Amino acid sequence: MSDPAAVEFEHVFKAFGNRKILDNVSFKVNVGEALCILGRSGTGKSVTLKLMIGLLKPDSGRVCIDSADIAHSNEEELSRVRRHMGFLFQSAALFDSFTLGDNLALPLRRLDKSKSRSEIERAVDEALERVGLDLDKAKMPSELSGGMRKRAGLARALVLHPTLLLVDEPSSGLDRITASEIDDLLLKVKKKYGATLVIVTHDVRGARRVADHIAVLDRGCLIGFGTATELEKSDHEIVRRLVTES
Amino acid sequence: MVGEVSHFGLKGLVDAFRPPFEWEFFVIQIEEIGWQSLPLIFAAGLALGIVLSMHTRGTLVQFGAEAMIPTLQSASFFNELGPLVTGLLVAGRVGAGIGAGIANMRVTEQIDAIESLSVDAFKMLVVTRIVACILILPMLTLFMDFASLAGGFFSEYLVSHISLQLYLDRAFRTVEWANFIPPTLKTSVFGFIIGTVSSFFGYTTNEGSEGVQRAATNSVVLSSLLIILADVILVKTIFFLFPRDAL
Repeated sequence: MSDPAAVEFEHVFKAFGNRKILDNVSFKVNVGEALCILGRSGTGKSVTLKLMIGLLKPDSGRVCIDSADIAHSNEEELSRVRRHMGFLFQSAALFDSFTLGDNLALPLRRLDKSKSRSEIERAVDEALERVGLDLDKAKMPSELSGGMRKRAGLARALVLHPTLLLVDEPSSGLDRITASEIDDLLLKVKKKYGATLVIVTHDVRGARRVADHIAVLDRGCLIGFGTATELEKSDHEIVRRLVTES
Repeated sequence: MVGEVSHFGLKGLVDAFRPPFEWEFFVIQIEEIGWQSLPLIFAAGLALGIVLSMHTRGTLVQFGAEAMIPTLQSASFFNELGPLVTGLLVAGRVGAGIGAGIANMRVTEQIDAIESLSVDAFKMLVVTRIVACILILPMLTLFMDFASLAGGFFSEYLVSHISLQLYLDRAFRTVEWANFIPPTLKTSVFGFIIGTVSSFFGYTTNEGSEGVQRAATNSVVLSSLLIILADVILVKTIFFLFPRDAL
């Protein structure tokens, strides 16, 4: 019997106007695994993540999260699926008119109505402590450094204890050491909480550290999928170059 | 684009009556759009009241009609200057803020982040702003009207030492509810225009930091233009519905 899939793309097509973004993309991420998506800029990596959380709908094909086809789900079903997902945006996307604490409390207030005010406070404190920002709860996003914002974004993505964490460019704009710290946090999330990770990145070194599998996209097509070692031997030159560069 | 903006505004109005209601964010908008505009509205009203009083005195004195200054002052502000200037000032201050603020949220993926939480970003960001603008504009207009009367009284007092009671008596002698309420309430339409146009440019931007700048500029320019055009139609409508106002 095959492993249960946390994420499954089946023949997904997506275009913006005449511009083809994803062209017949199919892959699967098993529960508890980490998939890193590599590729040149503008090859549809971020779109792939946004399809997974239902921010975009495919033109055709199926996007299944825990066997639920979210491309054809209504808002209620989508909300139920999203309750188990976290999304770390490239720019962290912290709400700049909220304090860090309120940024983390919002998902809890919106998606977990069973929690009392004090339980929300506790959950926020725990999430901030996990990423080392427990002393910065009252700060506004503008008062945080790039690395702190990324970690805050990660804390917000983790506050609902997601089983699927989507991460868009975790190391962009960060120095090597800070990027490595973010990778450590992602590894911890994977190992300690058993979460499935899908990470879009340009950082090959980070990808090799964190990923069980790597997918390579080029011009909307999936041109490589496998472990780093497998992809090093790929026939496709772009795949080989992307995976071996560091 | 007219069709898109109209559809956007109508959707905003319809969604305003559809639960769940975003009370928390609505209160924030009331504070940002209303409370924070008060100093600007008050200062502008006071200054305009003084200036109008000085100008009219120069003319009316020639006809021995300086006693009419408070009446002219109240008629000018209650009927036209108060609503229009308030609309234009709010379009400048709030319109730019809404346009740039929402556009920035779009560019920095904050709107995507809201939607990823299954929260209706349109209701949270757009509807709250449109409704806040609709409700706040008449109140700000009242502040503008009374600040202008205060400015007019101040100016008159320095010249003629008129008492406050006499000034107010002359100012309100000819004012009736029918020529005070409709012009004040018409600013709700200005509020709808400001909220809709600014939110539209912010919400639909997709051009990075340049898009933020463009959203702010377009919000102010189009809001101001539409307010002036709408004013012509609304004044004509008020004259039609309340014929005595036209006299």
